[in-house]
Order: sequence, then C-alpha cells, then structure tokens
Amino acid sequence: MTGAPLLRARGLGKTFGTLVALADASVEIRAGEVRSLVGANGAGKSTLIKILTGAIRPTTGEVEIGGEIVETGRPAEMLARGVACIYQHSNLAPAMSVLDNIFLGRQPTRGLGLLDRPRQRREAEALIARYEIDLDLDATVADLPTVKQKEVEIAKALSLDAKILLMDEPTAWLAHEEVANLFRTIRTLKRNGVGIVYISHILDEIFEVCDTVTVLRDGRVVADWNIADITRQQLLQKFIGERLAADAGAHARRSRSARGTGTVKLAVNHLGRKGLFEGIDFEVYAGEIFCITGLIGSKRTELVRSIFGADRFDSGTIVIDGTEVRPRNPADGIGRGVGFVPEDRHRDGLMLKMSVEQNLIMSALGDVTDWGLMRRSRIADMSRAAIADLNILPPEPHKEVAKLSGGNQQKVLIGKWLQIHPDILLLDEPTVGVDVGAKAEIYTILRKLKAEGRAILVVSSDMEEVMTIADRIMVMRSGRMVGIWDADAVTQQEIVAYVGGE
Amino acid sequence: MTTAHFSPRANAVLAFFSGRLLPVTLVAICVIFALIEPAFLSPENLIGIVHQVSIIGIMAVGMTFVIMTGGIDLSVGPVMAFAGVCAAYTLEASGGNVGLAALAALTLAISIGLFQGLCVAVLGLPSLVVTLAGMSIVRGTALLTGGPDLHLIRGPESFLFIGSGQISGVPFSVFVFAAMIAVAIFLQYRTVFGLTVLAVGDNERAAYLSGRRVRVVKAATYVLCSFGAGVAGIVLASQVHTAASTYGAGIELDVIASVVIGGTSLMGGTGSVPRTVAGVFLIGIMNNGLALMNVPIEMQLIAKGLIIVLALALADRPWQFSR
Repeated sequence: MTGAPLLRARGLGKTFGTLVALADASVEIRAGEVRSLVGANGAGKSTLIKILTGAIRPTTGEVEIGGEIVETGRPAEMLARGVACIYQHSNLAPAMSVLDNIFLGRQPTRGLGLLDRPRQRREAEALIARYEIDLDLDATVADLPTVKQKEVEIAKALSLDAKILLMDEPTAWLAHEEVANLFRTIRTLKRNGVGIVYISHILDEIFEVCDTVTVLRDGRVVADWNIADITRQQLLQKFIGERLAADAGAHARRSRSARGTGTVKLAVNHLGRKGLFEGIDFEVYAGEIFCITGLIGSKRTELVRSIFGADRFDSGTIVIDGTEVRPRNPADGIGRGVGFVPEDRHRDGLMLKMSVEQNLIMSALGDVTDWGLMRRSRIADMSRAAIADLNILPPEPHKEVAKLSGGNQQKVLIGKWLQIHPDILLLDEPTVGVDVGAKAEIYTILRKLKAEGRAILVVSSDMEEVMTIADRIMVMRSGRMVGIWDADAVTQQEIVAYVGGE
Repeated sequence: MTTAHFSPRANAVLAFFSGRLLPVTLVAICVIFALIEPAFLSPENLIGIVHQVSIIGIMAVGMTFVIMTGGIDLSVGPVMAFAGVCAAYTLEASGGNVGLAALAALTLAISIGLFQGLCVAVLGLPSLVVTLAGMSIVRGTALLTGGPDLHLIRGPESFLFIGSGQISGVPFSVFVFAAMIAVAIFLQYRTVFGLTVLAVGDNERAAYLSGRRVRVVKAATYVLCSFGAGVAGIVLASQVHTAASTYGAGIELDVIASVVIGGTSLMGGTGSVPRTVAGVFLIGIMNNGLALMNVPIEMQLIAKGLIIVLALALADRPWQFSR
C-alpha cells in the first residue's frame, strides 16, 4: 500500500582512503513505506544514512528527491528537501519544554526576534493532532519517558515538513511496552504518506512494522525484498553471509580454547545493579577470551564498568583469584590486576592533546616513577617497547594522539592497559571504528594475551568479531543473561537469534 | 589547511613561528621599547620589571595548574590580602616572629585553597562559582578580622627584607618569584602530579578510568594556587610595609590574563609554567615600557586589553602548516 517514490539513491559509493565503506548501493523510498535497513556493523548502514542526511558526500552515485537530483554533502539541503533523521541518542535540549524543543532554533517570531508564542502553540497542536502523537506540550523533556522523547524528536522532524524519516535503532533504549507505542506512531506516519527508513537489528521489529527490507553487506546491497515474501531464516542468512560465516568459523575453531588453562580468574556471582542489570553469573578462565554480546542498551557496558570499579553494584559478588573483592574505583580495580578498555576512546579512553608516550604510561605510572617523580629513561623504555610491540604508526612517542588514525589510537588505548600487565583485561567494543587492518592486529594482540594465560573479557555487538575471537559467548538482553555457550557448540545464526530474543 | 600558497622556505619560517609566537612577540616588544627609550634596557630597569611583576607572577604560576585542569580561581586577590593581614597580626602578637607570621599566613591561604578545592573536586561544583563565592567570603572575613584600615608593619627588619631587601642589587622578591617558578616547573615536568594535572584537563573521565586520583589532584591545584596567593600576600605586605584587607581588588584578572596570554587554554589540557612566566613578562614589560614612554594610564589599559585579545586570537588559531 505504498505510493509514489520520494527518494531514489542510485549507485552510491564512498571510500575513505583505501577503505571502501559503501560500493554501488541503490535504494528507493516510497511514500507510506517503512523500509528496513539491515546489516552487520561495518556493512555500510551508517555511511548510507550519512549520505542521505547530507553529513558526507558520496564518492560515486546520485540522490534524487521528488524527481530532482540533489546536491549531496549538504545537511541543510537535505533537511530542506524533507529528509530528517532520528538518531539513537537524543538531540533534544532536556531542560526545555516539548513545545520549545519542537521549534528549537526556528521559533516563529513577530519580527524583531520576539517569539510568537500563540502561533508556536497553534502549529504544534495542529501537528500532533494530525499525526495523532500524544504529547504534553508543556512538559519538560527531561521528565518524559524515553519513548516520549523519541516522539518529540519525530514531531520536531515533522514540523520541518519531513517527508522521509530515517530512524537509527529507535527502540534501542526503549522498554518493551514503549516499543508498541512507537510502532503505533510509525503506522500513523505511514498513513500520512511519510516514508520511513528503519534501522534495527531486531528481527521481530522488522517483521512487525516494516514493508520492505534492504540488506547491506560489505558496503553492497545484497537483497531488496518485500517483507511479506521472505522468512526470517532467509533474512538472517543474507544478513550474516553464509559462506563468510562458515569460513570465519572454521578459522576461529582452530585456535579456540574454551576455559583456557582451567583456572578461574574472575567469577561473577549473581551480580546486580538496580535498574540496569541483575542475576549475572559467569566465570572467565585464565587463557580464554570470553565474549559478552547483545544489543546496544542490553547493559553490557554497565556490567563491565561495575566489575572494573568505575561504577558500583548493589547485589552479588565478584571473586578474583578466589578472593571476594568490591572495587571502589578504577585505581582499586587496577591494583587487582584488572584493565578496562572503554568503548568510546575519545570520551573515556584517551587524552587526545597529550602524546602517545604520556597516554601509554598513564595507568602504570607506579612502574616508571619513584616517590611521585618521573623516571625519564624508564618512561622512554616503556613507550618505545609498546610502540614497537603494538606497531603504533607513526612510531613517534611524542606525537599528539589526536593526530593518529583511529586504529592507531585504539592501539595506544589498548597499549596503555598492557603496561599494567593485567591478569584480567576487560574490553568494550575493542574494534569499533577501526579499519580492517588494525582490527586484525588487535585480534592478534588479544590472542597473544590469551596465550600468555590472561583472562580476556570482550564486549562486542559485532557478530563476526564474536565468532572470530570468542572461546565462550554470553548473550545479554535487557540487563539479564540469556545464556553462555562454547563458541564451538553454537552457530552465528543461533547467537543472533538469542540476541534478538527469539 | 593547505600549503599550496607557500614556498618551502616560507613554510619553514611559518613553522618556526608557530608555537613560538609568544617569545618572538616578547623579544620584538623589547626591541621596540629599547629603540624608542634606551633607558628601557638599563639593568636597573630590567631588574625593576622583574620586581614589579613578581607578585602577579607568583600567583600566576600557581594559577597555571588550576587552569590546566580546566578550572579557575577567582579568589586569589582576597586570599592575598587576608594572608597579608594575618601576617601583620601574627607579627604584632608574637613580637616580631617572622617565621611564625609566614607560617600563619601560608597555613591560612592553604586552608582556604583546600576548602575550595574540596568543593570543586569532591562536591563537583563549578570552580567559577565556588571561587566567586570564595572571593566574597574571604574578602568579607578579612574585613571582619582586619577592618577596612591599613595596618602598618614596622618591623622586624627581616620581614621587611622579604619585599624590599636586596641581595647584590637584586630584590629578594625576585628570588622568591624565581624559586616559585623553579618548584612549579619541577612539579609540572617531573612529577606524577604535573602529568595528572594535564591529563585531568585534557580528559577527566579518561584520567579517572586510567586509575588516576583525579579528585586529590584537582583539590591540590587549588591548594597550590592559594599557596601562591599567600606567598604574594607576604611579599606585598613586606614591600609596602602595610597590610590591608582591601588589597588586591581586581588583581585576579591580571593573574588570569597572564596565564591565558601564556597560552594555557581555559578549557584545560594545555599550558605550561614557562609560558605563563612569559605571559607575566609580556604584561609587565608592556606596563613598564608604556610608563617609561609617558603613555597615559588610560592608553595603557586599552593597550593591555588589546594585547590579551590578540594573544587569545592567535593562540586559538595555532599557526599550523602541514608539511
């Protein structure tokens, strides 16, 4: 029941240096259509979205909206033509009212910069009535539940006359019953002729709310179907890539060692933190890589932060080497031989304005100082060795970290933690945003640490990564553990199914 | 940033100046003043400049650490005045015990710094607000104890020596300033504290997650800054033979300006003690040279303001040219 095409993208391609992020992707969005866009991390989804929002300019291809070819790479142009994006993370001003947020930055005025309050309210009321969005215009955004905040963003986009809404994992932060509300809103939008691009990893949602699906893999469109014509199994296979999964699996199997040396390094018993996660039980053995996977928002990061000591926990126990511990802060965790590589290296990991050397020594200052005094020769030795071992390029200890590539920044971040010689290393999405080469190098580092008998815990959403490096896999959903499997005894499809909640 | 318009030689010249703008400006200004007014270069005048800047300089050195963490301390003026009053009182009460007076003044300053530091580091309050309040509270308390009057300090000689005495022609306050600089440079470059200050200013979350004692270090910077204000208070009281709780109104702006001209970003994460010292001298030399040339005070103020803006504009846009 879909109408005229709103947007046609033909042959879109984007390369970053030697990395091909997107190659020859074509997609069409019609009025009243909900099109699902699926693919693993790195498949090119976000590149495609960024081209459609004008954030980046494609290397090849063209975008046609309403029958006209538009200039790409200009966010204002795309917005003016009615393409709006609802991002995973909120872009609202939390302290302001719903009404103010809807018109943020372009409030109707009476001239001279005076706000036309009555008009603003009239327009907003007409808008939410038309799209049947149930919102209290005077509520403060921060007080609203997450799903309502999403709806404010939707209303904001609609007030801009958006014809095409891109939604990036809109349900990632929503509770189950909130999802139903959001879907109701999406159906109203459909009836009003809005075209929607819906990005999600959750198959249930795709089959419930979408009309069509575009599957991306390695930067290419590998399938373009009507949802009604396919089964879940077909979609899953396209999504993951059968052959690729089989190849990677065979290679990974050779080096797998579930339960490593057989000695438990870290045991987590019934760990819980109110409102985030509960009832988490697992062990990580010396000499194994234990992966925790799940969707964004399944509270994996929160769990590892509590184990490290960056956050507290309310119930359960953490046992390291047979002794119950309760790390109060990161310094405490480090003192017990635990390292933590956070997901967001710019926000949580690196001092970008400082040098490679200064970053490398940051967690192990005790080894290169006496009584609080820096020992320059020991510092130089430490950084030289780390740069050589990790192949950090360029190999200049005094280079500002901000000037390194993403992959090399990530190696500096991991290198910082290797300097404390951790018995237990926790890594949160260790290869997010790094190129394929650096990814392989990071896997090699992790395997080497495993061979040295260290206990490695990796949080990852990238199924291919999980199947490549994991010895055992734990799946988390909404703050609970779904189960733990030996990597040899489970297929990628099965894990994806557990992750998605089937 | 492209290099297309510049020849390799021009690029080399620009590359040299980038990051060295401050010392180059300093030298250029000295040359200009020396050409216009040869008396500028006389040893007496040069020593005089150091003497004049030493009080602001002592405070600016401590302030550098606070600003490097991304904080600010507006309370240095009142702390300086209160420390001077405290020294004067202790001198009178103890019958001229200089050691005790210095100890009392510095203890007072450090306590104020510790209190403000804990408010910022432990309670997580914005430093601007904490020290703005501190500025008011300390000034008020100083007035409460010292009243609005000047307190004459008649001696002993050893106390007056701190601000007015000379060692082979060089004022003792210059040695105090030099000692502060030396200690601060040592702290910045050779200690875990110095590295952590920079790390906190660059990325506080990452510093915390790296196991650094972020709160302790942050609080310590305010202690250090107030310590500098305490030392300055003693030097000033000794220099002018009086103490008053009204001294130092508005001096925090000169102190902060010196640090900022030195290139320490108010956002934290960059900066250094040597550069602050250069900033202190830039302001001091401007004041001195313009005064020598009999430029009226109004024009001096305007010139100073322009230099601050110019320094910031150039610092915010580092002259970087890729190879």
